[in-house]
Amino acid sequence: MFTNMYTWLLRLASLKLTLVIFVLFCVSVVLAYFTRWSSAWILALPFSLFAVNLSAAILSNAAFRRQPGLLVFHLALLALVILLAISRLTYLKGHLEVSVGETFRGELTEYESGPLHPWHLQRARFWQGDFTIDYAPGLNRDRTRSQVRWQDDNGLMHEAAIGDHYPLILAGYRFYTTHNKGFAPMFIWYPAAGGAPQQGTIHLPSYPAHEYQQALSWNIPGTGHEIWTLLEIDEVVLDETRESEFKAPEKHRLVIRYNGQRRELRPGASILFEDGRLKYAGLRVWMGYAVFYDWTIPWLLGACVLTVLGMAWHFWRKFSARPWQAESDN
Amino acid sequence: MEHEIQLLWLAVVIYVITGSLAIFAVVLGKRPEKTILGLLVLALLVHGVSIGLRWARLDHGPYLTMFEILSSNVFSLLFVFALAYWHYRAIRPVAAIVLPLMFIMMGWLMLSNPNPGHLPPTYDTTWLVIHIMFGKVFLGAVLVAVGMAGVVLLRAAGIGEQKFARLPSDRRLDDLAYRFMALGFIFQSLMLIAGAIWAQDAWGRYWAWDPLETWSFINWIVLGFALHFRITLKPAPLWGAVLIMAVFILAFLTFFGVPFVSQTPHQGAI
Repeated sequence: MFTNMYTWLLRLASLKLTLVIFVLFCVSVVLAYFTRWSSAWILALPFSLFAVNLSAAILSNAAFRRQPGLLVFHLALLALVILLAISRLTYLKGHLEVSVGETFRGELTEYESGPLHPWHLQRARFWQGDFTIDYAPGLNRDRTRSQVRWQDDNGLMHEAAIGDHYPLILAGYRFYTTHNKGFAPMFIWYPAAGGAPQQGTIHLPSYPAHEYQQALSWNIPGTGHEIWTLLEIDEVVLDETRESEFKAPEKHRLVIRYNGQRRELRPGASILFEDGRLKYAGLRVWMGYAVFYDWTIPWLLGACVLTVLGMAWHFWRKFSARPWQAESDN
Repeated sequence: MEHEIQLLWLAVVIYVITGSLAIFAVVLGKRPEKTILGLLVLALLVHGVSIGLRWARLDHGPYLTMFEILSSNVFSLLFVFALAYWHYRAIRPVAAIVLPLMFIMMGWLMLSNPNPGHLPPTYDTTWLVIHIMFGKVFLGAVLVAVGMAGVVLLRAAGIGEQKFARLPSDRRLDDLAYRFMALGFIFQSLMLIAGAIWAQDAWGRYWAWDPLETWSFINWIVLGFALHFRITLKPAPLWGAVLIMAVFILAFLTFFGVPFVSQTPHQGAI
């Protein structure tokens, strides 16, 4: 029985199988690239086969005992494959939008995640302060600086300016500023029946990517009123001919359509409904963030570095043992 | 900018003279190797000053526009080749294969627009420089291997048997070429790691299968396959040479072709 198992182990450790796996990897990557299928699922087969082939080779091939560099290289590769599998099971990648003056409470506009993601995004709350985005001539986006505040587990407040290359890291989640940002008209709803006024913003499409589509239909929360909102800007926000900065325009009008009526609002103006009053409180800006969670990142980096070090050690020993001009069978 | 361009032209002229001399040396059976090495070093110095002047003027490295990318690649590839030329005397005639290959890149360089581009904030990081440096060593190592693979292929085609007679045997060239391929594999791996660190910092993801990442990974697999194929099946030098050429062509298309079709932020070539 053991002989039979060992024979299977040798078959699984075959270097020729490794070559087949290389080809399978290539086919899978090309397939994932040219189709819309999930790369994780397409690559699962070659990665699984690779892990089996690697494990079998490490267990059965005597060369690994003689060549420590080769052993480190392959063990690190195996660790890398296992870590990548864990990473795919637990990661989260998403996007969110927060207006200046608002708090991020864990709502994402879109996301994808592994089935075992721990979901503690609620712990990663932060308050959005002002942000600036510089533009070079030709509408080339430059530096981004975003002021954020958050409270740590001990109740202490922290403040930081995040932006290019400097993410905000909270509860293992990494928040990155993106090119995505826009204007956010702020409204206050005063219910006619009394009760506390409700404040909120609507996020118009990203600017300047959708410069001529600054309109949005939305419902006043808690009511059945659907409103169509258009922002008309009466000044140059981003000057293509010189350096400029993204900011809410001072000269603007908000065009509102509801129940077949059209109104133009300036900050402070209101619209009356039978069940309440909607006040336009002013124009703010919203910032789009990318959020990323993957606790395996430092381990992946460690495994990668170890793989390369093992490989370099192996090749160094192999090549320095015999000059290239020396005759050999190989 | 005028001085940079003038110096670049001067460097290209010296490269062309050096390459022509290398070809004549092989055809006529002469050995002006010291002259070739001296000219190559001179051209690299002049070219290096041109790149340095531009770097100082624009305050960023030569990795933004196609002009900068081609210029820095001509420099780095020939720098790696010059080191190999200086260290491995026995293979010096391969300059007659490598330098004409570089003429293609130089022609492309001289036709490209030298105007500066805009440096995106995501490119303003040391990790990008490290990523690019590793990539350049990878391509340089593969280029040296290509020189030797070219000799093996020419000999197999019955073209250069006499002209390259004083070079080592195909088996020895194959051995040395694969050492350079192994070096290339190490540096390509480092390039991917440094690139992942940069991508994590810049866009909040270390890997996203964008066109350049995808084709770089395919390139890495093919190079890994080539090394494994040689260890496992011990093929004849001819097949080894064919694989080296395949890796080089794929690498060239990845780093100089994909940036033209890619619509993602990861536009750069190494």
